[in-house]
Amino acid sequence: MSRQNPTILLADDDPNIVDSLAPFLERAGFHVLIVSDGQSALDKAQSHHPDLIILDVLMPRMDGRETLRRLRRVNVWTPTILLTQVGEASERALALEEGADDYLNKPFDPHELLARIRAVLRRARPGERSLSAAWLLTAGDLSLDRRARRASLSGQTLELTPKALAVLEYLMTHPDEAVTRERLLDAVWGWEYPAGTRTVDTRMAELRRALDDDPSEPKYIETIPGEGYRFVADVHGEG
Amino acid sequence: MNKQRWFYLIIIGLPFLLGTLTSVIAQAFFQPVPLVVFKIDIGMVAYVFGIFISLLLAAYAYGMARKEKQLQQSVAEAQRNAEDGRRRFLRRLDHEIKNPLTALRTALVNVRECKTEDERERAIENAGRAVERLIRLLADLRKLSDLGVRPLERLPVDVPELLGEMVEAAKSLPAYQEREVNLLISKVPSPFPPVTGDRDLLSLAVYNLVENALKFTSGDEAVEVRALEDGKAIVIEVADSGPGIPSDEMSKIFEELYRGANARGIEGSGLGLALVQRVVELHGGHVEVRSTQADPRGTVFTLRLPVKK
Repeated sequence: MSRQNPTILLADDDPNIVDSLAPFLERAGFHVLIVSDGQSALDKAQSHHPDLIILDVLMPRMDGRETLRRLRRVNVWTPTILLTQVGEASERALALEEGADDYLNKPFDPHELLARIRAVLRRARPGERSLSAAWLLTAGDLSLDRRARRASLSGQTLELTPKALAVLEYLMTHPDEAVTRERLLDAVWGWEYPAGTRTVDTRMAELRRALDDDPSEPKYIETIPGEGYRFVADVHGEG
Repeated sequence: MNKQRWFYLIIIGLPFLLGTLTSVIAQAFFQPVPLVVFKIDIGMVAYVFGIFISLLLAAYAYGMARKEKQLQQSVAEAQRNAEDGRRRFLRRLDHEIKNPLTALRTALVNVRECKTEDERERAIENAGRAVERLIRLLADLRKLSDLGVRPLERLPVDVPELLGEMVEAAKSLPAYQEREVNLLISKVPSPFPPVTGDRDLLSLAVYNLVENALKFTSGDEAVEVRALEDGKAIVIEVADSGPGIPSDEMSKIFEELYRGANARGIEGSGLGLALVQRVVELHGGHVEVRSTQADPRGTVFTLRLPVKK
C-alpha cells in the first residue's frame, strides 16, 4: 500500500450512505473498501490491512462497537473512526473506551469526515496502539487517569467538572491537532447549538485555571485564533 | 374479576354466618334465656357482632371497589391523553419534515433540469438550506430526548455572567448585530446568589428565550433581560415589546413542535420553548409567560429557579 493512496475500509449497512461516501472519499485520493456488516469488516480488516477503518455503530450481524472490541483484542491497532447515530453522552464515552481514534455523529458533513480521516492518519503510527486506547495519559506534570476519571497535576488531583475533564481527555487524545470548538461540541457535548462556542470557551477557561496554564504562554492548551484549540505538550499513553 | 367478587362476598358474609351459627348453637344447646330479665346471651352478642363486622367489611369493600374503578378511569384518561399527545406530535413532525423535503425534492429536480450555471447554483443552495433545516430539527429533537436521560451537572452557576454571555451570543448572530438588548441585574443589597445546576443547559434555555425575543421583534422594538432574587427563587425574565401571543395559543406554546400563528414563516424548529420548559423543570423551577396584544403590547417569559439554601 503506497503512502500516496491510503486504503480505507468503510463499513456501513446503508447503501445510500456508502454509495455517496465511497466516491467522495475516492475523489479525495483514498482507496475505498466497502463492507456492509460487522463480521465482514472484521474479516476484511485482518485480511486486507487497511490504513484506516470507518465503522458505523448500528450494523447487522455484529455492531461496530463489538467489531472494534474484537479487532483490538487480537491486537489490530488500525486507526478507527466510529460513526455513531445515537447522540447520548454515554455512547460517546464508550466509543473512546473501546479505543476508537475518533468518532462522528450522524448526520455529519462529509468534509468533516475527511478532516477526521486526515487527522487520524497523520497521528497514526502503523501497528502501534494509539493514545485513544491508553488508560493513562501523561504530558509533563499532567496526568489523566481515564478509567478513574481523574486528572492530576504534579500528583495533586485537579478539581474539574465532568465536562472539563471530557474536554481535556479529547484534547489529550488528539495532541498537536487544531481542534475547533464545533468539533469539541460534537465530540464532548454531542449537541450543537448557536451559543455553544461560548460554552466551550467557558470550560476551557475552567480547565486553564485548574492547569494554571497561561493562555499567552501555554504549556498545555494553546488558542488558535479564529480556529480553536490545540494541546501542545507531548502526550504519552500507558495501559 | 368474578373470582375476586366471590372472594369478597365470602369474606364479608363470613362473620354474619358465624354469628348466626353461634347464636343458633347457643340457644339450642345451652340454657334458654328468660325474656323478662334483661340479659344478653352470648349467642345474641355473637349474632349482632357478626352483623356489625359484616357491615363494616361491606363498606370497606365497596370503598375499595370504587377507588379501583376511579383509578382505572384516570389511567384510561391518561393513556388517552398520552395517545392524543403522541398523535399530535407525529402530525406536527410530519408537517415540519414535509416542507424542507419538498424544497429538497424540488431543488434536486432543478439541479437536473436547469439550463444555466446560475440556476444550478441556486438550486444547490436551496437544497443545502433544506438539509440544514432538517438537521436543526433533528438536533433539537435529540436534545429533547437526551434531556431526560443525560446526567444533570449540579454546580454553582453564576447567573449574571451566564445572562451576559447569552445576550452577547444572540447579538452576535448576523441578523441581530444592530439590536439592542437591555440587561438588568439586581445587585443591591447583596450580590447575586449562584444557582445550582447545569450551566450548559441553563444557558441553552436562556439563549432560546433571548433569541425568540429578538426573532419576534423588529429593529425598533425593545428586548430586555432582567434577573433578581426574591428570597425564595431566582427570577429571570426575558421581555419584549413584540406583537404578543394570542390568548388561545398561550397554553400550547410550550408543547413540542407547536407553532403559533405569529411563528409561521419565521425560522425555528418549534422545539425551543419545549426545551426551555424541560430544562427549567429539571432544575426544580418553572417557567411562565404573560403576553398582551393590545397596547402596550409585548411578551414576558419568567423563569423561576430555586435558590440553594
